[in-house]
Amino acid sequence: MKVTIKSWTGVATWRWVANDDNCGICRMPFDSCCPDCKLPGDDCPLVWGACSHCFHIHCIVKWLHSQPQQQCPMCRQDWKFNNK
Amino acid sequence: MSNKSIDLKLYWNKINYAFPILNDTIFSDCTGSEYDEVQQIITGMGIQVKIRDLILIHIEKYLRQHVAPSFWSKFVKVDEEVKGFQLFKSAVNDLYESVSNFSEMLRRLSILNSSCCDNKPIFGEKDVILGFKQLIRATLLSQLPLDYHVIINHFYKISFNVFDNEYESSDMGEDVMCSGCWNEYSDCNCAYIVKVFHDTNRKLMDLQLLERLTGQVLTNFIQLRIETHIQKLCDGTFDVSHISFLENWLDTTVMSWLTRIYCGGSSKPPPDDKNTQNAILQFKKKLSYYLYHSYTKLRIEQLFNIIIEYPESQPAVDDIKMCLDKTDLRLTLCKRLQSALETRLLHPGVNTTDILTAYVSTIRALRHLDPSGVILETVTKPVRSYLRNREDTVRSVVSSLTEEGASSELAEELAKFAAEADGENEKEDAWDEWNPDPVDADPKVNSNDRKANDIISMLVNVYGSKELFVNEYRTLLADRLLAQSVINTEKEIRYLELLKLKFGESQLHFCEVMLKDISDSKRINALIQQEKNFEAASKNFSSNAMILSAQFWPPFKDENLELPEEIKQHFEAYTKSYEALKGNRTLSWKPHLGYVNIKIENGSKNLDLIVSPFNATLIMHFQNKPEWTLDELHQVMKVPITVLRRKITYWQSTGLISEKCTDTYVLVDGSDENKSNTTTNQVQEMICEDDETESVMASAHDQREGELQVFWSYIVGMLTNLDSLPLDRIHQMLKMFASQAPGTECSLQELRQFLDTKVRTHQLVLQGGMYKLPKT
Ligand SMILES: [Zn+2]
Ligand SMILES: [Zn+2]
Ligand SMILES: [Zn+2]
Repeated sequence: MKVTIKSWTGVATWRWVANDDNCGICRMPFDSCCPDCKLPGDDCPLVWGACSHCFHIHCIVKWLHSQPQQQCPMCRQDWKFNNK
Repeated sequence: MSNKSIDLKLYWNKINYAFPILNDTIFSDCTGSEYDEVQQIITGMGIQVKIRDLILIHIEKYLRQHVAPSFWSKFVKVDEEVKGFQLFKSAVNDLYESVSNFSEMLRRLSILNSSCCDNKPIFGEKDVILGFKQLIRATLLSQLPLDYHVIINHFYKISFNVFDNEYESSDMGEDVMCSGCWNEYSDCNCAYIVKVFHDTNRKLMDLQLLERLTGQVLTNFIQLRIETHIQKLCDGTFDVSHISFLENWLDTTVMSWLTRIYCGGSSKPPPDDKNTQNAILQFKKKLSYYLYHSYTKLRIEQLFNIIIEYPESQPAVDDIKMCLDKTDLRLTLCKRLQSALETRLLHPGVNTTDILTAYVSTIRALRHLDPSGVILETVTKPVRSYLRNREDTVRSVVSSLTEEGASSELAEELAKFAAEADGENEKEDAWDEWNPDPVDADPKVNSNDRKANDIISMLVNVYGSKELFVNEYRTLLADRLLAQSVINTEKEIRYLELLKLKFGESQLHFCEVMLKDISDSKRINALIQQEKNFEAASKNFSSNAMILSAQFWPPFKDENLELPEEIKQHFEAYTKSYEALKGNRTLSWKPHLGYVNIKIENGSKNLDLIVSPFNATLIMHFQNKPEWTLDELHQVMKVPITVLRRKITYWQSTGLISEKCTDTYVLVDGSDENKSNTTTNQVQEMICEDDETESVMASAHDQREGELQVFWSYIVGMLTNLDSLPLDRIHQMLKMFASQAPGTECSLQELRQFLDTKVRTHQLVLQGGMYKLPKT
C-alpha cells in the first residue's frame, strides 16, 4: 500500500512571545486586543520597552500621554521603545 | 213514589244515551234535538254541575284505562326501521281517531258546561275541547314508557333520508336503488313516506303533541346526523373551509325538514302563527350552536395535524377561529392541543429538528388563530420547557437558521426580521386597533411582548438567554469553519450582519474575528508558500494552516495526537516562516484538527479521500508496518486505546484494515482481486461519513460541567464525612458552603445531571436515592 499526502491543512493558534500573558495596563490578554480595538494581532500589536516590559501599543501610548513623565507603568524606569 | 223513581230511571237512561261515557263507551246516535231534551231534563233538575263532573271523571278514567294504554302498546322496541315507521304511524292514527270519536260527545258536554254557570275550569282550560286535549296529553305523558323513542326515531330517520336525498342526490342516475327509501327505483316508496310523514305530523300538531312527544327525539336524532355529516365532510382535509357549506346544509336540508314537520308539510310557517315561528327559530338556534360546537370539537381533535400542514391548512384554522367566537371551546382547545403536542412530540423518539419544525408551525398557526398570543403562550409552555432540557436544541436552532434549501424557513424568517427592523417605529399609531386581552391571559406578561415576539426570538428564548444561544452559534460556526464547510466567507459575513441586528453587535464580535482569522489565514498561507526556506521543506505535498486567534474562538476539546515525523517537521518549518513573517509571534499547533487529502494505492484499488489528521496518521503508520497492536499504536500516536479502538473502525469500514485478533490490526492486501471492485464502490459511499462529524468544540454542556467541577471537592468532602446523602441535602449544603465559588448558581436539576455523570463514571454510587462514594 502506498499512501500519498496530497495536502494537509493544519490548525494552529498564534500568540505573542512575551514574558507575561496579560497587558499590565488594560489587564486583557496580549493575544486579545486592547479595550479600544476590535481585532487582535496586526491591528493591536504589542510594543516592548527598553526595560523589557511589554504592552498593547495603544495602551502604552495612552498611558504615556496621560502622564507628566514618560515612565514604564510596571517598573517606573524611563520608557524607551525597544525596536527588537 | 214509584212513578217518580220510574221517571228518574228514564231520565238517567236519557242522560246515559247522550253521554255514553258514563257507561264507559263512546258511541251514541244522539241527535241535536234529542240532546236539547236531555239538557232540559238536567237543567230542570238543577244537576248540571253534578252530571258534568261525573262525565269528566269518566272521561278521565276512559282515557287512562283505554286510550293511553292502547297508544303506548305500539311503542315497542323493534329493530327494523320500516316496522317502527308503521307502528308509529298507526299509533298516531288510532289516537287521532279515538280522539275524533269523542267530538260529538264533547260538543254536548260544552252545552252542558255552559249551563253550569260556575266558571269552573275544565282540566285547567275554560274551553271543553282545549281541556280535553290537555287531559289527553297529561294522561299520555303520565304513562310514558321507557323505550318510547325507538319507533319515533325510526319514523323520523326514514323520512329524513328521503329529504336528505332530495337535496343531495344528483349523480345517482346509475344506481338501481333509491337512496331515499332503499327500495328499487321501480318500487320507490318515497312518495308514500312523504305523505305519511306529513299526515302524522299534522295529526300530532293538531293534538298539540308534536313538541312534547318528538322534541327530544328529534333533537337527538338531528344532532347525530349533524355529527356524522361533519365527520364525513371533514375527514382529514384541511385546505378547504367547510363552515359555510355546513351552514348551508343546516339551512336547506335540516331546517327545511324541520319546518315541514312543524307546519304540516308546507315549507313556511303561516305568517300569523307566532308560536310555530318561534319554535322553529329556537330549534334553529339550538342546532346552529350544536353544529359549530361539533365542528369545532372535531377540528380541535385534528388541530395537531392542521398545524403541521400550516399554512396549507389555513382554511381550517380560519374555520376554528370563527367558531371559537361562537362556542366556549377555547379552554378545551388549549388542553387538547397541549396534550397532543406532548404525546406526539415531546418524547425521546422525536428529533430535535422535528420538534423545532413543529414548534415553528405551531407559532405560525396559533398566531393566525389568536393574534393576542395567549393561546400560543399557554399551549407551548411544555414544548419550551422540554426543548430547554434537550442538549442539542440551540445547535439545531442555529443550524436551521443558517441552513439553506428546503428547510430554511428560519433563515427566511431571519431575513424577514432584518427587513422589518427598518420600518419598525411606525406602528405606534394603531391605538384604534387596540383590544383588551382575553380573560385567560397571564396578567404578568405584557401583551405587547406577547405579540411582538418574532419566531426567532421565541426559539432563542426557549433556551433562556441570548448569550447561550450566541455561544452555541459561535461553536457551530467554529466547527463549520474548521471543517471547511464554509467556503463562501462573504456569505457568512452577510449572515452575521443579520444576526447582529437581532442579537446586538457586541455578542457577535467574536464571530467576526473568527471569520477574519480564516480569510487572513489564506493570505498568510500564500505569503509563506513563497518563502524560500519553507519551499524547500514542502516539496512533497502542499500544506495550509488555519491560524486562529485563540481568545476569540470557543474552547477546543483537548485531544492528543502525535503526528508522523515528516508532518511535524513540515509544521515546524511553517512555524519558523510564520515567526519570520510576524515578528514576536509564534504558533501552537492543534495536531488533531484540520483535514488531509490523501491518495491511497493498494493493489488495484485507488482511493482519493479527505480524512481527519488522526485517520491520515493511522494509515501512514500502516504503510510503514502492516501489522499493529493497539498498544503499539498508542505508543506512537499518544492516543488513548479506547479512542483508537473506536476510530480505527473507519479504516475497517473501507476494507483497508481488518482486525486479525483482539486488538491486533493488519493491512488488507489490495491485490486480492475478487474483493476490490465491490469494496471500492462501498468506500465511495462511505467517504461522506468520515468519523469526524462530531463537534471538535467543547459543547455548552461540557463547558457548564467544567464549571460544576468546582463543587466536586465539596461533594467528596461531604460524603467522606457523612457517608451518604440525598440529592436535595447535597444541594442545600452546597448552597451554604460553596456559595463563594465562581459560577455557584446551580439548579437541583443541573446538580442531578452532574451527579449522574459521576455515577456513570463510577466516581459515585447511587443507592436508594442516596449518593455515596464508592468503596475503595
Ligand atoms: Zn493593554
Ligand atoms: Zn488596541
Ligand atoms: Zn518596565
